Order: sequence, then structure tokens, then C-alpha cells
Amino acid sequence: MQSPGDAAAEAVLRGDLRAASRLISRIESGDDSVCAALQLLYAKGGAASVIGITGPPGAGKSTLTDQLIARYRAQGLRIAVLAVDPSSVRTGGAILGDRLRMGRHNTDSGVFIRSMAARGQLGGLSAATGDALVVLDALRFDRILVETVGVGQGEIDIVTHADTVIIVQTPLGGDTVQAMKAGLLETGDVWVVNKVDAPAADRTVTALRESLEFRCRGLGPQQWRPPIVKTQAVRGEGIETLWESVEAHRIHLLAHPEERETQRRQRTRVLLIERIAEALRGRYRTVREGNEPFERMLDEVLARHSDPRTAVARWLRQQE
Amino acid sequence: MAHGKIRCLLGMLGTDVHSKGIRTLAQLLRDAGVEVIYLGEHNSAEGFVNAIIAEDADVAGLSFSSATYVHYTRGLLEKMRAAGVGDVPVMLGGLIHAEDEPTLREMGVRGIFGPGTDLRQILRFLAEVTGKPLAQGAAHGPG
Repeated sequence: MQSPGDAAAEAVLRGDLRAASRLISRIESGDDSVCAALQLLYAKGGAASVIGITGPPGAGKSTLTDQLIARYRAQGLRIAVLAVDPSSVRTGGAILGDRLRMGRHNTDSGVFIRSMAARGQLGGLSAATGDALVVLDALRFDRILVETVGVGQGEIDIVTHADTVIIVQTPLGGDTVQAMKAGLLETGDVWVVNKVDAPAADRTVTALRESLEFRCRGLGPQQWRPPIVKTQAVRGEGIETLWESVEAHRIHLLAHPEERETQRRQRTRVLLIERIAEALRGRYRTVREGNEPFERMLDEVLARHSDPRTAVARWLRQQE
Repeated sequence: MAHGKIRCLLGMLGTDVHSKGIRTLAQLLRDAGVEVIYLGEHNSAEGFVNAIIAEDADVAGLSFSSATYVHYTRGLLEKMRAAGVGDVPVMLGGLIHAEDEPTLREMGVRGIFGPGTDLRQILRFLAEVTGKPLAQGAAHGPG
């Protein structure tokens, strides 16, 4: 007897796109019966290079993704795209519009584009993104591009999913102090300054270069230093250099297996911690009215007999 | 627990460029808890069908403002059946003439919503053909 999970996984392994997209929908809706399929697919996975594209809203992530797809197709590679857009906090609905900029690839059988709503997750990715990547990996695409929700300064969970992270900025993104702040600058394997036709683009590039050089001080000669690529995505300018930089990073990782292993181990560690936190959040989201110890804690905090931090620490100890 | 959301593909075929109506609908559906995958203008039937497959759309909506909609819709439905997604319900909006409705329904179009349609009609249609829930109260709120 086969479980339905196995049947879904086997269809995906045969390259059945509709089976894959249905499996992704089940993942998105929180259907626990996907575990059997994921287990099977994950065991056979790990082949595709995952390239993350992140940056603030309106920076040009979708247009750059569209151009990168075209470049990879010219090379003859098969490309999958996961494009994540925000969900409405109020209604849970969403408009997933990233495909709009990639419409020319809809008729290309070598390209598979899937839109996902972030469904309440911070950090620019859907909670289901990691599992959806397992499915796309099993379809044997050569590269998987993940376009995140537009993010600001801190939340950058794409780094736990991608082998290579592209961070897109524009000259319109604030003064030079922004580039010195913590967060995005500490990550990113390839930096893009898009819309370089805008005024003051050179100043943005210079400020970014200074900050990245500071980040890279003390790195050995063998270690990867993030390049800065200037693009004008709507006109296709700079795309060749961007493609070369992304591929150079991939080759760098292949040539330095120890660095690659360290990176993978660290990423997977963070990923697992995130999944544990997520599962715990899910468990405590079900604390409803009428749970007595919880109501007592609520009363204490309201009466200011206890502060939230102390009260929660004590409550969690009691739960163990 | 599974909590599937309605995934609705919206777009236009051919050279039709009057997208204001469908963009408005996209936002209204978002506010009713629907995940709208917006394809915009200038799609080919083949590209539209590939998007239905990749997005696992529960339902697909097309808007027309030119007179060629019978031709375009027939082509789309044929390609959908050939690709094995003939079961995905299709709805049309825009300037659809009443005398064409029987032909369109016979082809397999499930919903036709012309100018002046009450949003609640569309929402009830989506809930019915997908069997999935909308945001609470959406189908009963102000149209």
C-alpha cells in the first residue's frame, strides 16, 4: 500500500508539474499529510542552486528576476522561480503581482514560476517557502530563484534558504547612513544598485562600497567578497555582469567545499531553530479564553503585580 | 489544520488593454481574503494555461472590453482541456453581451459578470465553485 504522500512525491519525481503545484498548495495550507512526500523528496534533493533576491519594495526585484531568467534560458538552463508577495494583515488576502513582470516566460516550458503569499510571516518569506523549495528542487531545475517580499533593514530569512543572496538597492533608498546600519549589510553575496540612471547613483555605490569594504576587512584572500553590480533592469543593462557575479559565487562555493559545508551547516541550524520557534508559536496560539493559569497570568499583568517578561518566564516553567 | 485560501488567477488575453476593471476586482478580492495572482494584460492562451498549472489556481477570471471575447475564450478553454486543467472554473467580466451568454456557457464558462455586478455575487460564485472559505463576513458585507 502506498500512502498518498508517496504518490504525490513520485509524480513530482517524474516531472509532473501539476502534481508539484498541488503539493505546494497543500504545503501552503498547512496540511500535515505532506510530510511523507517531503521526506521522500528531501532525501533525493540538494542538487539545484538556490538564488535569493531581496531588497526594499519597488527596488526592481521582479524585473531583475525576469532578466536573470532570460539570461539563464539563453544558457539553456531550466529555471524555477518562487515569488513571494505580502498578505493583507487584515483579511489574509493578497495580490500576487510578481508574475506580471515575468510574463514573457509564461509560454516557455523551461521556466516554472510560482507565486506565494507571505501569509503573516515577517522576514520576507512565506513559512512554506522552505518546503516549496524541496518540491522545486525535486523537479530538477538547474537554478531556483526566490524573490522575497520587499524587506527593510532587519528581517532577511532568505539567507537560510539560498546558496547565493542578491541584495538590491536603489539610489532612492535614503542617505549614506542607511548603508552603515546593521542588518542587510552583514549578508548578501552579490549587491545590486538598480536604477543607476537616477541622480546620485554614484554616491550610493560609493557609500555601499565603503561599508562593504569595512565588513570585509580581515577576510583572507581566498574568501568571497561581495561585488557591487550597477544595473538598469528595465533596459537589461548590467544583467550580464550580474549573471557573471552570481555564477562566480556559485563556482566559488564549489571550489571551496569547506566554506560551502560551513555555510550549509549554519543555514540549516538557523532553519531548524526557526521551525522549532514556529511550531511553538503555533502551539501557544491556541491558548484560548478560559485557560485558567493563562487567565491568572493575564490578571496579574493587568494589575501590574507582574511584568510581562517575568510572568511569561514563570508560566513557561510551569508548562514544562 | 488545513486552511486553504482561494487562489484566483486574473488576467487579460490578446490586445485588450482596459485593465482598470480587473485591477479594481483584484483589490476587492484581496480584501475578501482571496489570493489573487495577477497576470495583467497581453497574455496568450498558452501562457495563461501554464500559469493556471504552476499557480494551482482554483479559479481563473478574464476581463474583456473588445468584441473578440467569444473567439479568445473558446481558444483558452480548448487549451485548458488539452493541458488537463479543463476542470478549473473560468469566469468572465467586462463588456459581455447578453446574447453571447448562452454560447459562452455552452463552451464551459461558469461565471459571467458584466458591468454593474454586485461584488457579493462574485464572492458567492467563488465560494461555491472552489468550496473554500472567504474572509469572515466578506460575502455579506457591502457590495
